[in-house]
Amino acid sequence: MPRMCPVVTGDTALARRSYQNRTKYAILLIVVSNVLRYNMVAALQISLDNLRDIPAFHALPDEQLMSLAAVMVRRQYAAGHIIFMEGDQAESLWFVASGRVKIIKQSLHGRVQGLCLMDRGKCFGSCPLFDMAKNPATAQALNDVTLFVLPEAALEHMKAHDPHLVKALLHIYSQRLEHLARVSEVLGAWTVPDRINDSLLTYADRDARDPVVELTQEKLASLSGTVREVVSRHLRLLEKAGIVRIEPRRIVILNIDALMPPCACEDQRKPA
Amino acid sequence: MTVNADLLAKSRIFAALSPRTQRSIAEEARLVEFSEHVDLYHQGDPPAPLFILQTGRVKLYRQSKENCQILALPIPGDCLGAESLPTGAASPYSATTLTPTLAVTLSPEILQVLMDEHPDFQEMFLRLITERLKQFVTLVHDLAFRDVTSRLATVLLARADTEGQAVEGGILFERLLSQQEFADMVGTAREVVYRTFKRLEDDGLISLSRYNILIRDPAALRAISQQETR
Repeated sequence: MPRMCPVVTGDTALARRSYQNRTKYAILLIVVSNVLRYNMVAALQISLDNLRDIPAFHALPDEQLMSLAAVMVRRQYAAGHIIFMEGDQAESLWFVASGRVKIIKQSLHGRVQGLCLMDRGKCFGSCPLFDMAKNPATAQALNDVTLFVLPEAALEHMKAHDPHLVKALLHIYSQRLEHLARVSEVLGAWTVPDRINDSLLTYADRDARDPVVELTQEKLASLSGTVREVVSRHLRLLEKAGIVRIEPRRIVILNIDALMPPCACEDQRKPA
Repeated sequence: MTVNADLLAKSRIFAALSPRTQRSIAEEARLVEFSEHVDLYHQGDPPAPLFILQTGRVKLYRQSKENCQILALPIPGDCLGAESLPTGAASPYSATTLTPTLAVTLSPEILQVLMDEHPDFQEMFLRLITERLKQFVTLVHDLAFRDVTSRLATVLLARADTEGQAVEGGILFERLLSQQEFADMVGTAREVVYRTFKRLEDDGLISLSRYNILIRDPAALRAISQQETR
């Protein structure tokens, strides 16, 4: 006997089961297509505990966390990997689970400007949420990173049905507003030496006994919005004062307090 | 002073809210007058109240030691404040009145209650933060890649768009800011802004008077505003 569609036969329990199965397949399909598309090293399930680690999700009830965990994927990238480019179609929110991601901007003429650094718990990406279809900046893995990705389409759907999620988004936007206000100040009002010091603090690997910045002077210049000669002159002054030690392709920070900028009130400067 | 629900319904931001939400806001809101040069809230303070500007002008800025960066100049109808309420963090910038100002205010505690009880209010608040975010993304790009002349041109054109009046010979708007404040907006020193204004005036693009700015050649100014440094 041919199998009838459960909806036609009026078998509601079967219809529900078949719907649930279809949802499972749809999620599996998203995961598989993401694996293929982004050349992931690993695409593993994300646990609720993973999500609770993210400040924006602190206040979410388990039910919402479960629906988020169902649509989010885990991705790993090696140091230096470009996660997305400025001008690309923006389509996901990204949360840092471990490692650090730097956000950079490029001028029409190719000049690169470092904007900020995202560490554990921070969120970046998905500009359609604030009415910008394209990424306004580039994201690059600074070291080996693990990220949790929330696709825009899933987010839009959930947002429309769930005031809790709007709360989480408010948290994310508010955090980003603070970031951008700070970046504007650094770019607009700080002197070049302050900006170089800030880059040293931002890019220092603080796990070492003496914090180390593994960047060439050229790169440090681009991140601080200046040229190599100015960076080199400033670093020599810092070395003379016993604040840093210049080594080939890296700078060792000997006195981190001396690098603290005019306003040391930001949480960004505290070690993660 | 208490707030009439009709006053809220006139505002661009509140017009889309349901009448029930508008009534709840009107019950809790207060109409407050501020004289010029009064701080509404400070960078580093706990989350600030929400201010809905009715009349007057305010500057939003960040300051550290002697350095100041003006981030925005809201106009009547705009909202400011409460930026850090969702995270509970410190206010990310300060707000000070430039002129005598009238604003509808809502305390952070009341905002929290309104957001919990009215999903449409929460959506509106999300839109407010989104608008500010978009503005900051543009500001960051300009500060990173445009020179002082181009940035000053951008600031003047943006103000002409929002507050300018077409008059004979160009677009006129109130000067509002001191030379130093223009410098804080563009991210440079006062002397540099002075020189840049002078050059734009000499080239016939703008005219400055004590109280007003007249944009005489908007097209030429726009061309300058779009140049990026190499």
